[in-house]
Amino acid sequence: MSMNFSEFKKLLGADPWNRDPDFLRARNSSPEFERAAAEAEAFERKLQRALHTAAPDDLLEDIAGIGLHAVKHRRWVPLAMAASLILAVGAAAIFYKQTHTVIDTRTYVAEHFALDGMDLIARATAPVPEQDIRAVLSSLHAHAGPQLSERMRFIKFCPTPHGTGAHMVISTDQGLVTVIFMPDNKVRDGQMVDFNGMQAYLVALEHGSAAIIGRPSQHVAQLRTIVTSSLKTGDAQV
Amino acid sequence: MKSDTERTARFNELAKAYSTDLYRYAMWICGNDALARDLVQETFLRAWRALDSLKDTTAAKSWLITILRREYARTFERKVPKFTDVENVVIRDDDELEPEERTERDLLRQGILRLDAKYREPLLLQVVFGHSCEEISEQLGIGKSAVMTQLFRAREKLKAMLQKDGITGNVHELF
Repeated sequence: MSMNFSEFKKLLGADPWNRDPDFLRARNSSPEFERAAAEAEAFERKLQRALHTAAPDDLLEDIAGIGLHAVKHRRWVPLAMAASLILAVGAAAIFYKQTHTVIDTRTYVAEHFALDGMDLIARATAPVPEQDIRAVLSSLHAHAGPQLSERMRFIKFCPTPHGTGAHMVISTDQGLVTVIFMPDNKVRDGQMVDFNGMQAYLVALEHGSAAIIGRPSQHVAQLRTIVTSSLKTGDAQV
Repeated sequence: MKSDTERTARFNELAKAYSTDLYRYAMWICGNDALARDLVQETFLRAWRALDSLKDTTAAKSWLITILRREYARTFERKVPKFTDVENVVIRDDDELEPEERTERDLLRQGILRLDAKYREPLLLQVVFGHSCEEISEQLGIGKSAVMTQLFRAREKLKAMLQKDGITGNVHELF
């Protein structure tokens, strides 16, 4: 069945350079269709001209500098990272101890996530190299199985009520979800914490515990298997 | 693991191929020259860090756009960028036009900047990057028919603006 003019105009407005055979047949089927197509193409050229802005002359040079700078300084990165990590964990631990002498896990989870949880989700743009995951978790006497490590999009050390833990962002069928591993905290398994439009599901592990944090629509309790089956605790196995 | 030289060469190829279009895209989604430049630099900084995760080079363009869009969203989480008296947006040009063409182009630009983001973004992906409706649908996470409707409406709004107000008009009420 041939295309009527109204359908043709809608397709034309959505994509003037449409190369679908039915569309092209319709385009050449009558002067009315041809005229509409010519007008659309003329408008498209104006649109392209309007959007064709020039980039700053030195933009490419600046971007190329990113790679050069990173390669030049790569040898210092592990040392700098280690130093930053020690400072950050130390400062966070001191701050935490000063301001939270007694704190329960439920309060900790809500406050910790409010601090930078959303920001870290936004930074979780790419898979995390296996060695980075191992570097964090092995020092907490834990390791991640493939089901967890392949989903990992971000990992860093973080302070917990009783020491140091890991703040992770993992990719799931329901979107990005935060997991906080607390190797020195015991929790009652299966508690749900509601805070600021988020939910945290607390999971007791063999050693320590974890909080799985997401929006209510992400049904975080259903993700417990990923954590319980893939986050092995109490031993820095590789 | 690729050598530093290979990695740098690959990165520079991406920068050469996509930095100008990414800058244009950033410029038109945020309407601010300095912020657009920051967004593109931050995009490539993140791209450098995650470069080894880009296995399929043909996916590079979409990958970079995704990084840029996330970075832009983060910018809004941190603060609302100072935006914009549309008439005062500084846009870099490298072409020479007749006065009448220039006026028409400037009016069209004001219209583009006033378009609601849901119309503007698909239009930019199509015109700046040459994305198909399917690719836009995938990039924005909305259905193809919704993309087509938004593209159609975006163009209709811009055409109506040009027809209604000619080269002297006020376009505010159309958006």
